[in-house]
Amino acid sequence: MNMPSKSYPVTDSSAERLPETKDPALKLRARKTLLWFKQPGALLSLPALFIFVAGFIGPLGLVVIYSFMPERSFAFNQLPTLENFVTIFQEGYYISYAWSVWLALLSTLILIVICWPVAYGLSRIFRRSMILTLLLVLPLFVSENVRLFGWVLTLLNHGILDGTTRTLFGWELPDMLYNAPVTVLGMVYVYLPFMLFPMSLGISMVPDSCREAAFDMGATRWQVFKEVELPLAMPGIMIGCLLSFVLVLGSISEAKILGGQSIIMISHDIETAFTYAQNWPLGSALSTLLILLTAVLVIGLLSRLNLDNLLSRK
Amino acid sequence: MSKLKTNRRNFLKGMGMAAGAAAAPAALWPNMGWAASKDRARELNILVWEGYNSPNVLDPFRRSFDTRVSAQNVISDPDAVNKLRAGENKVWDLVNLNNPWAREILYPEGLIKPLDQERFRPYFDQMLEEFRWPYKWAMSLDQKELLGMTQRFGPLSFVVNTDKISRSMAEDQGFNLFMDPSMKGRYGMLTWANWNIYHMCITAGFTPFKEHTEAEFTEFERVARYLFKNAKVLSDDHLMMNQALITGGIDAYFTGGTYSCSIARMDGFSNVRGITPKSGPIDGKGGIVWIEVTSVVNNPELSPRAEDFLEYVQRPDVSRQVAFAEGSHNPVTQLGMKEVRDAFTKQELDAIQYDSLEWELEHCADYDVNPDYDRMLEIYTRARREA
Repeated sequence: MNMPSKSYPVTDSSAERLPETKDPALKLRARKTLLWFKQPGALLSLPALFIFVAGFIGPLGLVVIYSFMPERSFAFNQLPTLENFVTIFQEGYYISYAWSVWLALLSTLILIVICWPVAYGLSRIFRRSMILTLLLVLPLFVSENVRLFGWVLTLLNHGILDGTTRTLFGWELPDMLYNAPVTVLGMVYVYLPFMLFPMSLGISMVPDSCREAAFDMGATRWQVFKEVELPLAMPGIMIGCLLSFVLVLGSISEAKILGGQSIIMISHDIETAFTYAQNWPLGSALSTLLILLTAVLVIGLLSRLNLDNLLSRK
Repeated sequence: MSKLKTNRRNFLKGMGMAAGAAAAPAALWPNMGWAASKDRARELNILVWEGYNSPNVLDPFRRSFDTRVSAQNVISDPDAVNKLRAGENKVWDLVNLNNPWAREILYPEGLIKPLDQERFRPYFDQMLEEFRWPYKWAMSLDQKELLGMTQRFGPLSFVVNTDKISRSMAEDQGFNLFMDPSMKGRYGMLTWANWNIYHMCITAGFTPFKEHTEAEFTEFERVARYLFKNAKVLSDDHLMMNQALITGGIDAYFTGGTYSCSIARMDGFSNVRGITPKSGPIDGKGGIVWIEVTSVVNNPELSPRAEDFLEYVQRPDVSRQVAFAEGSHNPVTQLGMKEVRDAFTKQELDAIQYDSLEWELEHCADYDVNPDYDRMLEIYTRARREA
């Protein structure tokens, strides 16, 4: 049976009210669109569609439009210009973009290495994995800033770690805060659950029968990992990577609180443009480029790996 | 058909839920400015710097006047000004900003209203001598209209650990202290961009409150790059800076004063001290003092409680609460009243450096507008990024 939209006759009375056009293909498409909107499902989706457009697409659209307004303007009714993008390339903002992308990549790689064994354990080995899961989830209920300040108190000169080693062993630890490595530590710590749980889900989706079959066929442990587990768990790994990468790319607190601004992330530059500089168009242009960068990387990655196929196990 | 009916019912149910969700913010946060009711006599919306939103300050007012007060923190003066420009003058009843904005921007642009001089002038006569009637920053440019009430103020230059750097040496050297090679890696920068820029101008040897020459911009950039490159830690959190100072991570921090270090002093760390340089390029002065001015917004439906609140915060007991709000402790102009001074304990007076307050005010220039702020901010952010 054909779908209703395909089976409706083109002589439908509503189609007669359509504006005249010479292109028959265009005419047909316009009729189909109108008929699609007359379906109950399409009509019922309109409120949700409206909320989605107004609440999600709308603000992004505003940011993009603002990025083409003259610097330090607060209205849309001005001639569009590319001067904000020229400023970005002239003023060395590429440094912040480069740091953000590099730290996002590095953190994601570290997270993959750390999370694989834990996720494997959670899915296949640990008997009371619920307790471990709870321990990993609970910190998510505490504000990110509070947790980062916890690290500050721990790593601070004369803080918990330094104070303890001084008291117990007389060792004076070197300064551990306000540098790039501690910024990465903060990022790995904060975004660990976003890699761990999708990865754990991915591993749990690997059927035991596949692994057993591979072993039966004489595969080594390494071959089973490389040829069976990794490819089959790939959807979870990819989702974890995407979540972690995008979140780190837009992060700001770790570099500020733990890193002591030794690295300026692009989000920090965006914040400065919107607050101290009151230059909304520049902030919007920086945000637009970040959105574009994220979209290119994410869409590029997804299209290469074909997540749809992986998820549907085709 | 029956399927369609079910869908319609579901649709209506969904719409009902959506309407409920849309109404929820107003029900959950009835004090939000945008959920303003028509009963303006029992409602007050204030846009203020941290401290005035303290429950210790607001709760007694709420009870006495049976008024719902909503307070929003100002994150920067220009941001608050732009909010009013963007039409939020219909939302707010009072705005509390640093001194230049009321007379130089807000009143000329019609964003605030003059106050009743008969009602408020007597309060100026009781303030510290420097703030007595007619106080420049509370008046319009022609000195005819009263535009706001002053209360919190404070010198803001830099902060040192006096166990490591003596107060007298810091006062003598002023901001040059941070350009000394021996200070490399020993200081932090409290990255309040607007204040950093003012202090970098002073460090570079010229006043921030004028139009600058190309040579001065070049010197400004040199100073900015040097300071960022050699700082051990950067943070926009003054509590974090105090912590680094107390634990020995740094010996001083660039940009700071009573506002930033009084909490640490109140906790007993009297070695953490805000410093005002003895001399500098602003007509011989090397420090800057900020003064907050609270004005009545030109709101077409102004709450009648707005002026009541301005009068309420002048009361001695409330002045003390304003001075010792959580987050930051500051001197108040009402310290001119014996009753207010007596309400402070010795420890509290020490926290706000009352012992040197008069001397510091003499050596500070009043905070003002920097006409080259935008260009300097670009240089500043570039230097910070490339350090």
